Amino acid sequence: MSHEGTLPVSKQNMTIFGGVKSQGRLNRKKTAVMAFGVLFMAGCARDAPQDTWQPKGENASNINTLQWIVFPLAGVVGVAVFALIGFVLWRYRDKGQAIPHQSHGNPAVEITLTIIPALILSVVGVFTFRGIFQLAQTNDTQMVINVTGQQWWWEYDYPAQVVNGVEISQPIITAGQLVIPTDTKVLLRETSRDVIHSYWIPALNGKKDAVPGRINLLRLQAYKPGIYAGQCTEFCGLSHANMRMEAVALEPADFATWVANQQRNAQQPAQASLAQEGEGVFLNQCIRCHQVNGLKKADGTAAIAAPDENVYSGAAPNLTHLMSRNTFAGAAFDLVTSDCRKNIWTASPEQFGAAYLEGVSPKCLNQTNLRRWLRNAPEMKPMYADPTKLASSDGKYRGMPNLNLSESDIDKLVAYLSTLK
Amino acid sequence: MAIIERPTPTAAITLRAPVTPAQSMGIVRRPVTSTGWKSWVFTVDHKKIGIMYGVFAMFFFIVGGVEALLIRLQLATPDGKVLSADLYNQMFTMHATTMIFLFAMPMAAAFANYFLPLQLGARDVAFPRLNALGLWLLVAGGLILNASWFLGGAADGGWFMYSPNSGPVFSPSNGVDFWTLGVQIAGFGSLIGSINLIVTILNMRAPGMTLMKMPVFCWMILVVQFLLVFSLPVITVALVLLTFQRSFGATFFDVAQGADPLLWQHLFWIFGHPEVYVLILPAFGIITEVLPTFSRKPLFGYPFVVFSGASIGLVGFGVWSHHMFATGLGPISVAAFSIATMAIAIPTGVKIFNWTLTMWGGKIWYSTAMKFSIGLIVLFTIGGLSGVTHAVAPSDTQQTDTYYIVAHFHYVLFGGMVFGLFSGFYYWWPKVFGKMLNEKLGGWNFWLMVIGMNMTFGPMHILGLQGQPRRMYVWTEARAGEGLFNFGFWNKIASLGSLILTIGILFFLINIVYTARKGKIAPLDPWDARTLEWITTSPPKEHNFDRIPVVHHLDDFFHRKYQEDATTGELVQIATGEQLVRAEEANADAHIHLPSPSYWPIAIAVGVGTLGFGVVYGVPIMIVGVLMILGSSFGFVLEPSVAQDIDYDPPASGGQDTKELAPLG
Amino acid sequence: MAMWLFLGSECLLFGGLISTYMLYRGRITQGPRPSQIFDIPFTSVSSFVLLMSSLTMVLAVTSTQRRDYERSKLWLTVTALLGATFVGGQVYEFTAFYNEGLGFTTNLFSSSFYTLTGFHGVHVTVGVIMLMALRGIISKNRDTGDRAEVVELIGLYWHFVDIVWIIIFTLVYLIPA
Repeated sequence: MSHEGTLPVSKQNMTIFGGVKSQGRLNRKKTAVMAFGVLFMAGCARDAPQDTWQPKGENASNINTLQWIVFPLAGVVGVAVFALIGFVLWRYRDKGQAIPHQSHGNPAVEITLTIIPALILSVVGVFTFRGIFQLAQTNDTQMVINVTGQQWWWEYDYPAQVVNGVEISQPIITAGQLVIPTDTKVLLRETSRDVIHSYWIPALNGKKDAVPGRINLLRLQAYKPGIYAGQCTEFCGLSHANMRMEAVALEPADFATWVANQQRNAQQPAQASLAQEGEGVFLNQCIRCHQVNGLKKADGTAAIAAPDENVYSGAAPNLTHLMSRNTFAGAAFDLVTSDCRKNIWTASPEQFGAAYLEGVSPKCLNQTNLRRWLRNAPEMKPMYADPTKLASSDGKYRGMPNLNLSESDIDKLVAYLSTLK
Repeated sequence: MAIIERPTPTAAITLRAPVTPAQSMGIVRRPVTSTGWKSWVFTVDHKKIGIMYGVFAMFFFIVGGVEALLIRLQLATPDGKVLSADLYNQMFTMHATTMIFLFAMPMAAAFANYFLPLQLGARDVAFPRLNALGLWLLVAGGLILNASWFLGGAADGGWFMYSPNSGPVFSPSNGVDFWTLGVQIAGFGSLIGSINLIVTILNMRAPGMTLMKMPVFCWMILVVQFLLVFSLPVITVALVLLTFQRSFGATFFDVAQGADPLLWQHLFWIFGHPEVYVLILPAFGIITEVLPTFSRKPLFGYPFVVFSGASIGLVGFGVWSHHMFATGLGPISVAAFSIATMAIAIPTGVKIFNWTLTMWGGKIWYSTAMKFSIGLIVLFTIGGLSGVTHAVAPSDTQQTDTYYIVAHFHYVLFGGMVFGLFSGFYYWWPKVFGKMLNEKLGGWNFWLMVIGMNMTFGPMHILGLQGQPRRMYVWTEARAGEGLFNFGFWNKIASLGSLILTIGILFFLINIVYTARKGKIAPLDPWDARTLEWITTSPPKEHNFDRIPVVHHLDDFFHRKYQEDATTGELVQIATGEQLVRAEEANADAHIHLPSPSYWPIAIAVGVGTLGFGVVYGVPIMIVGVLMILGSSFGFVLEPSVAQDIDYDPPASGGQDTKELAPLG
Repeated sequence: MAMWLFLGSECLLFGGLISTYMLYRGRITQGPRPSQIFDIPFTSVSSFVLLMSSLTMVLAVTSTQRRDYERSKLWLTVTALLGATFVGGQVYEFTAFYNEGLGFTTNLFSSSFYTLTGFHGVHVTVGVIMLMALRGIISKNRDTGDRAEVVELIGLYWHFVDIVWIIIFTLVYLIPA
């Protein structure tokens, strides 16, 4: 765990890198380069959550080390080459000198200039080799999660296993947010139900494609509790831009709490409440695709969703613990208000677990987003959900259609969904 | 079919003066028109074909540019509303497809067609009619590709068209059908063109021009054509499989049937990576002509440049999987392709050093052409170095499919290829059109393009490393960050840069119009140039050379102008370019034969286009297309190799002399 | 030379198709298996016919070189007929397979099998058309330059198509999946 050593470097590193770029842009404007460098230094206050230079786990740190070798090296080479070009352009401009001697080159210089880059690259090559095999290692895995991509969300399926003494006795199925314990080597087994997607949490590791018909392995490990942003990075059709994900790392004790909650069935809403009416609406509409564990039909039998009959990829997010996640619809939209979101994203590692496990409280629920979604989902996130245009996909939807719910139905549903802690 | 055409320019005959056909409808006769639109549509003259390639490419450069501007407009702000998700996906797919298949490759073909015979000292290419066929197939492909905009939406699967996302379920509109057919047909055109050019280079060099005395531009074109010959069939297979799946119900990429979606990726990138070098090497060739001319020095290390070009071509076939580092290849493959990718950086570096050392000790004339060439060296180096950062496979898994890659390949392709092509425009414009492009407008053109290009693509490095993925129709505030590296600021800069870039390119278009109307008449040797294309008039006569030059040196034209003084060892000018051209005219060959125009190349292309539409719209149209192809192929094969005397006006009265080309005074 | 380059390109075309076939030949989710429907004796005979056509092509080339145009016309016709017989055999074979339940879209094996062998069939057909055109050119005595060279070039194409068939026949029919 040498991450303390590598964490702060990314800032400086960006400066070096920026310097290389500005060389090209402002080749002959040295002062501007300087000014630019200063700006870069000053500007690193808070980077984007998907910054590839701020590793928060072992795998990403390994990659970062390699980036640290190759980027500065490229920068130095770049500066040297540009200095040479600049010198030549200045020194040999037309000053009225005679037509130069028609020399055809110098093999010794040529060979030297071939060998130098070859040597530099072979050094880089050695480190690359080491890095590749380091990252491919899976034999010391401590936990396995099956990750399935589909248009346009991720499903996480935790097989029954014992992780750090915490027993997952029943498989957990969830969506949007991946929850893992800190300091645990987690192996993701990725696949897809339709087209190729790619799983990428930059703070934890590089990306790995989820290919239908294949299982690809990707290891994640997080040093500290926190929430790490990611995004599908293989173009996967209409709503590719809206296929996001978040990895949530929790202290082992908090993770145990989370597991315990996920293994519970949904509670029945109170008699004669708005939520109970909402349950009726759910049974009438949503159950066609969305499963809620423990939900019973009016006749007392278990209500089982049949997404395979309605959705082309054959799955829809399991909503049993919707309110334990703070995003929905492929992590594209916040289920919490922006204030509450900020509290979670900026929480210190010590406070993060508690803040996350609180879930979506009634105070934090982002009613605007949720209601807009229920009113007309495809308007909010482009999907192939026009019932008249499903001929190519056997009449099945790709995404959630507009259910044409009445406003009172929406009120009821929101009340019911709020109970799915 | 190439089979009955003879690789000799003396096989046929044409007239010197504009003629009109007396009986042009004779079906197996050859047309003879040398004026008006027919002289273009039925031409087999490599120069006219080259210009048509250029016009076609320039048109699609503007189309692709407008698509790019719409993309930047959409991404200037978070949650952009300019384009819908669907339209955005079509836009970036067609932007790439247009720029690669309808701008870059045709523009390189334009240069190759026009200048290859001139630099080789030949009167035409080996198979003039096949040359025309290649052009018209490309036009047919371009039309089919873009017809989709008006027939239910363009392709929306990205130019890489990964399966299964490109399958009939996931892309139900006809866009992908048009895309596969358009690319397929344009690919046939390129294949025919490349076979033709290889034969031209290997068989038709002027006497004395050994391969190692051949201009580097010709060498690079040769390497490119070999890349095309061996990579196009692979994409053909991929496209055929996809067409069969989409139009005839096959299951090549249907995972439910046990298909492997990675098959497409392998086939695509075995073509796709050599394709990258197909795009960049012609530009390398151009600037390798420009740099020595304006440094007044021969190329530094000619054999190294040639062999590095050839080895780039060779190794280029062995690195395709670096586009697939994230697909789960397994560490051994990843390591091997990672190392191969680093290896290809070495010959590329050799080129950059050689260009720089060519200028070393020179006498540099900063013309616009030279500025663009220097721009290429600098910008391409940046692109090359960022390329090395993702040859490191683990580092690539962070960068791939982000804007960092977009930045990388735009530095390579825009900063490299486009700057090289512009360098070629300014260098060779006087040769092609006989007028000098305005240097002052050229300066504006260059500097605005440099600023615009760096403002557009420079920030994309930052955006990518900050984690903004490609191919997203919107980006969101939630992932944008707040520091100086936030998406908002840099996306705005990039969009602003694209406007400046557009203005820069507008200056070029203005320059064309200005030059056409008020441009200075070009002297015969405006740049004190070095190679054979300058030993004839500007624009060159239809038969290129009054006398086939005999070559003694690399840069023969230069050595005819300058000689070393025996005592001082200094270069002394012994003739001007103008004097040399006049001397050639005075000693012109008495009998020059050129091929007659032909109806059949464009007729075959129309047939192929019809067949393409038939694949989308049904078997009856296909049958019509096949019949048209068969009919015109028979016409192509069976037509006489010369126009008949009676078709000329006035009819040739028997004697050979009237059909022959008299020297132009 | 152009023909050599073209054939080089064709090698990669068939290389791609054969790789696809090799990848997919075992992936049979429904429909009959190849061993149940392949009629190896029949295909061997038609392969033999195609091989013989290479021999007659050689005879056509040598007689053209000797400027014995009557002979060369005869041998070209025989070659074209043998080629046509092969294509006819393939059409018959496809029909038989189809009747036994192996449609083009039945499974991955069938799609790639028909694509590969179909592509080859199209090449033979194009060859037959070229041979007939060549015979026409020779008999109309048109001025098309050195005829021997043209016949040789088409011969080159014809031999290439034959060799490709030998590879396909071995991989598809003789080596069990």
